[in-house]
Amino acid sequence: MKNKVDLKRMGSAWLFVLPALIPLIVFWIYPILRSIFISFTNWDYMSPTYDFVGFGNFTALFKDARFYDALWNTVVFTVGTLIPTIVLGLMLALLMQKAFRGKGIVQFILFSPWITPTVAVSIVWTWIYEPGTGIANTVLNLFGLPALQWIKSSDTAMLAVIIVTVWKSLGYAMIFYLSALEKVSAELYEASGLDGAKSWQRFRDVTIPCISPTTFFLVIITMVNSLQAYDQIQILTQGGPSGSTRTLLYMYYQLGFQEFNMGQATAVAIVLIIITVLLSVVQFTASKKWVHY
Amino acid sequence: MLWEMKIERIFKKTGKFIVLFIFSVFTIFPFIWMLLSALKTKAEIMDVGAFFPKEYQWQNFVDVVFHSPLLKYVGNSLFISVVTLVLQIVTGAMIAYAIVFMAFKGRNALFAVIMGTYMLPTAATYIPSYIILANWNLLNTFTGLIISNCISIFGIFLLRQAFMQVPKGLIEAARIDGANHWTILWKVVCPMTKSSFITMGLMNFITCYNSYMWPSLITDSDEKMMVSQGLRKFFIEGGSYGTEWPKVMAGSALIVLPLLILFAFTQKWFISGIGGDTGMKG
Repeated sequence: MKNKVDLKRMGSAWLFVLPALIPLIVFWIYPILRSIFISFTNWDYMSPTYDFVGFGNFTALFKDARFYDALWNTVVFTVGTLIPTIVLGLMLALLMQKAFRGKGIVQFILFSPWITPTVAVSIVWTWIYEPGTGIANTVLNLFGLPALQWIKSSDTAMLAVIIVTVWKSLGYAMIFYLSALEKVSAELYEASGLDGAKSWQRFRDVTIPCISPTTFFLVIITMVNSLQAYDQIQILTQGGPSGSTRTLLYMYYQLGFQEFNMGQATAVAIVLIIITVLLSVVQFTASKKWVHY
Repeated sequence: MLWEMKIERIFKKTGKFIVLFIFSVFTIFPFIWMLLSALKTKAEIMDVGAFFPKEYQWQNFVDVVFHSPLLKYVGNSLFISVVTLVLQIVTGAMIAYAIVFMAFKGRNALFAVIMGTYMLPTAATYIPSYIILANWNLLNTFTGLIISNCISIFGIFLLRQAFMQVPKGLIEAARIDGANHWTILWKVVCPMTKSSFITMGLMNFITCYNSYMWPSLITDSDEKMMVSQGLRKFFIEGGSYGTEWPKVMAGSALIVLPLLILFAFTQKWFISGIGGDTGMKG
């Protein structure tokens, strides 16, 4: 009798699980396993047959200068978006902590890029960056600075992509910090025994540790997003000029969906997965040291 | 002494407003520039000296609305996003309910798997997923776009976090009253966690509506394009390789402005969702 009830209960539980579990298996778990499998073959998508090449795709990748460039670009892009997003996001949140007239409007403005399609705003930025007629160079001229080639030159293209990405994600970080700051209670400040005069010390010893879970969360989210950035790169630069904005993800796209080199493309995808896993492990370990819950 | 402090305070306050002002201008400027450029003539837009258009060219918007397929793309995106969202909410709420309130074998393992996929780069699944859709003849179809996106891992997390705040005793009491799980989920749990549902709904709607990479890989026909891909096509044809910048800007504005208006009315849900429910501590 009891077994029957148990079975029935199990059955209804799985009934609730399956509608999500089936797509999860079909479009997430199976594809990841399948990608690992493909990365050991020389499949080119067109032909029905393929050979196993062992670690051939990976060794070819590790000998390819393009791969290291893409890896380096990924690091530059990730760090280049992460630091300004976190630092400026926190700064803005600190400035907006106290209520003032127009706070709602400022909040609305700063957050608005986040909800607009990356493709649409990247098109607008392409126009802003136009070396000859764009407003970016007009602004630089206004301050007496030399004009830049922006997305047309391999020296500045990455900077241009980073600016768009930070512009888009800054408000998101700010909102996160705002709500974290609200939770740092006034009593805690009083208990710390530091008055307003030593505000820097108070910030360092009380605020920073209290908001560390938020910082931790934002670091992970921003990194994962940077590793997966595609839309703005595709619109602004297509990975160019001369590969200067080709990140690992963009290289994956080019190998897979332009060159149909599925083996190499999935090998890059596996590298991306490994990097993500490593980053998470490192961060979770490190977080035990500096995150105070 | 007092004077010094007062001056210092005023100084600080002004500094704060200047910084906030600069950042606000920097953030809003691309939108304003988009609108101004959309209202210029082809000649004006190439003239660096002309900040404002001499005469506002509303015709650009009329052209984009009536003589370009952009509205069709908007319709496609709306349809796909609404259907996807409904599926994501139903499947997400069900599995989150099972994980939080129902005892079954493999529950912890299941949650670990979901948590694992949360962090993984989605793009790593694209090649095999593409092949699956190709085998099922679902490339270039709304069905393909929808079913490949019918669960939201973020949503499952968000709802699980919210459901954990619901007292378990309430579920048991409802069970004793003879209610089945389906009824409890939608009549008891859902109303209690309404704000998380709204947040998830808005966030996922926006994400799906704006999505670009995956839809652009599995669709290439004009009939099935979503907004981002369609806008890019419009841009390639008229913008970077042509001189139709005013129309490209009008097209972008047509896509961006409704979203900004939607956001203006729903801001508090985004903000409470980001700040409160999705935080690390549950």
